[in-house]
Amino acid sequence: MSTEPDKLESFVNRRYEHGFITDIDADSLPPGLDEGVVRAISARKNEPEFMLEWRLRAYRHWRQLEEPTWAHVHYPRIDYEAISYFSAPKSDKDRPKSLDEVDPKLLETYDKLGIPLHERARLAGVAVDAVFDSVSVATTFKEKLSEAGVIFCSFSDAVINHPDLVKKYLGSVVPQRDNFFASLNSAVFSDGSFVYIPKGVRCPMELSTYFRINAANTGQFERTLIIADEGSHVSYLEGCTAPMRDENQLHAAVVELVALKDAEIKYSTVQNWYPGDENGVGGIYNFVTKRGDCRGANSKISWTQVETGSAITWKYPSCILRGENSVGEFYSVAVANNYQQADTGTKMIHIGRNTRSTIVSKGISAGHAQNAYRGLVRIMPQAHGARNHTQCDSLLIGKACGAHTFPYIEVRNPSAKVEHEATTSKISADQLFYCRQRGISEEDAVNMIVNGFCKEVFKELPMEFAVEAQALLNVSLEGAVG
Amino acid sequence: MTSRLAIDALRDAVARLPDNRLSATRLAALDHLQGQGTPTTAHEDWKYTDLSDVIDISNQWLAHSAQERTPDVAADQINALKDRIDAYWLVIANGQVDESSVAVAQAAGISVSLLSDADVALDFDAPLANLNTALLRDGLRIHVEADAQPAKPIGILIVDDASSAVGVSQARVEIDLAERSTASLIEHHVSTGRSRHYANSIVRLVLGDHATARYVRIQERDSGHSQTGRLNVRMGRDSSFEHSAFDFGGKLIRNDLLIDLCGPGALATFTGLYIAVEGQHIDNHTRVDHRVGPAKSIQEYRGILAGATRCVWNGKAIVHAGADGTDAEQANHNLLLSEQSEIDAKPELEIYADDVKCSHGTTIGQLDESALYYLRTRGLDRRHAQQLLTQAFAQSIVDRVSIDLLQDTLREMVAVRLSKLIEGDIGL
Repeated sequence: MSTEPDKLESFVNRRYEHGFITDIDADSLPPGLDEGVVRAISARKNEPEFMLEWRLRAYRHWRQLEEPTWAHVHYPRIDYEAISYFSAPKSDKDRPKSLDEVDPKLLETYDKLGIPLHERARLAGVAVDAVFDSVSVATTFKEKLSEAGVIFCSFSDAVINHPDLVKKYLGSVVPQRDNFFASLNSAVFSDGSFVYIPKGVRCPMELSTYFRINAANTGQFERTLIIADEGSHVSYLEGCTAPMRDENQLHAAVVELVALKDAEIKYSTVQNWYPGDENGVGGIYNFVTKRGDCRGANSKISWTQVETGSAITWKYPSCILRGENSVGEFYSVAVANNYQQADTGTKMIHIGRNTRSTIVSKGISAGHAQNAYRGLVRIMPQAHGARNHTQCDSLLIGKACGAHTFPYIEVRNPSAKVEHEATTSKISADQLFYCRQRGISEEDAVNMIVNGFCKEVFKELPMEFAVEAQALLNVSLEGAVG
Repeated sequence: MTSRLAIDALRDAVARLPDNRLSATRLAALDHLQGQGTPTTAHEDWKYTDLSDVIDISNQWLAHSAQERTPDVAADQINALKDRIDAYWLVIANGQVDESSVAVAQAAGISVSLLSDADVALDFDAPLANLNTALLRDGLRIHVEADAQPAKPIGILIVDDASSAVGVSQARVEIDLAERSTASLIEHHVSTGRSRHYANSIVRLVLGDHATARYVRIQERDSGHSQTGRLNVRMGRDSSFEHSAFDFGGKLIRNDLLIDLCGPGALATFTGLYIAVEGQHIDNHTRVDHRVGPAKSIQEYRGILAGATRCVWNGKAIVHAGADGTDAEQANHNLLLSEQSEIDAKPELEIYADDVKCSHGTTIGQLDESALYYLRTRGLDRRHAQQLLTQAFAQSIVDRVSIDLLQDTLREMVAVRLSKLIEGDIGL
């Protein structure tokens, strides 16, 4: 494999395709964070009093917290006073009602990203609530959804139009005091998506949101809340790309899912934010709190994620299995390359009887990257008959990368069955040789092996996402032969 | 909140220890300990094990019995223990090295000396190792010559008797096996007495190139006594370390096994069995550092938990950059037999090299109903069927003990322990 260093180099030198800045005049707050900023954000969004109070409580608590250091990642200290906590595209005041009214520059941005919003939405039957720089800009297919009684809108709209639902469920899965980044988000969250699926409704289409980070020095604090009422079903897709930046950008999102009796939520993510350049300069800091609560009996929450971007990922989509017979699933592919660092995994908290969870995590490390799986499976004393199976595999490509596993297993019920398996290896010379002698090029062979490695996760993705994810992986690992 | 160790009283106790070559080291270790503080559950490595009780015993001991003469352990008790296994026995009783046992071993040709006679530099390490150094009366140094192969195992009997007063004891052993030597080693902990007791032991084992050590640790402490123990192993080129650990007794038990694979071709195989009944807390932490490759480590721990017990198993394998050709396997299996028992398992891998093969597997469950049913259709009652299956679960660890003549003794120990467990209601 004499070509290996060259290929690796070309792979390492690959530029970030989606690196550009859209020239839109952002209406931003000056950097810094105090109560005034929290009030200003709330005022700008015309929020009711309860929302401001909620934010202020979170802010006051956040002030007392220390940034956590337990994750297996290293980065320079974040100066929270140097971040601007709000930025909205100028066209915020008169919201467009259809795509024709959307700022053409925004549409151009989506085009550059290869996301022809309207076509794609129509062809794929996907409603897109596009979040651009913290404020929802375009929402499609609203009528079709409202026919079914589904509420799918920006978080700001939900606060104003559906305050009772927001009051009831906001912070009920990820409380304001949950952790440092969740508290920060609770205080300053700019916008996000809100979904409510009424009783017995199967959402007629897959819901999707594209997140982007734009204006310089602006952190993005998304807040997503999805509620699936009794017997309902929803599949939600989230995909991300971001423009190139020299400075690190902080992203501290919170996602809360509530599944009531017999309800099912499927949450899929493809994350491809700017990972920093080949020397590890720049890139997004992705510190996300995602948690689902299987509140009712027979409910199910399934997380599927393909993580290829961000300089640092700190993310543990979790399930609280409260309802009897409820099911939690976590399928993840995490790719870390160059100087990327990922510390990601899940938590499955079994509380109800006969609760089941499955964890499949595939980590791929290349270049100088560090990729860690961190997971918790906790079986509480009352969780009779609980069942967990965890499979957690790592693939190493290159001499300088690292792959780590930190699973915590806590079992307090003797009728529980818990299994955990993990393997770490590189692409073996045997496998490559086998493919090569059948006339497959080295690069195709590597792609094939890597895709095979991730297959268990990809098959859980909705079809259009699976295609995107596979392409993304092929591009990311081109030529990186181990 | 973990209580704090009474450092001033500890300083007084250190000052009262016999003046020998260790004196200066003790004081330095105490300073280190004072700077570090004792571990609390806020420390990741101590997340599941709270040392409050141990610190409480230590403070009680410092306030009272530390000022009195250390009681002796009855000679017939020691002799009875020695007779159970045929070995060259070295005895540390209530933290005091039994010099007559050293003389006997020396006469048999074993190179053993007191730490205070040998010029061994003790390095400063984790807080409990520093506590051990600070309170160390004396320890043992065992040396096995190049190419030597002692005829019998070398046994270290660490025995404590807390019948008369609250006790705290330290044991320290430094062992080195020179090139191409082969030795069997037994570390046996026993304690008796109604008062509270805390024992803290540190063993360091250095394996020269091509050396082989077969190592068995047996812990049979009284159910009211606590112990923290640490075994550090440093392995040279093509050396082999076969370790089996058995935890039967004790109240709060914490074992740390740290293995450094420093030479290519090194092979470490380490297994363990912990059987916890009413009220016990047994914590096994293992860490294997693959510093060079190719080298191999294989680990398997099994646990049986009944009653209100808690066991912890934390296995960590670290493959350092450049340690290509590493093969590391970890396995941990647990049988939970009671509603009140808890197991916390954490199999960790940290890998900084790419040409590696690492795996771990953890299972937690209960006896297989269909296996129980099968045995019952063959005429066994439920209790016996349970006993048979539990014994089989434990047996696979006993079978891997590499000191052949120990297997029968251990099988018996396991059977006794399990029959106690099965006789009680294990709630199945």
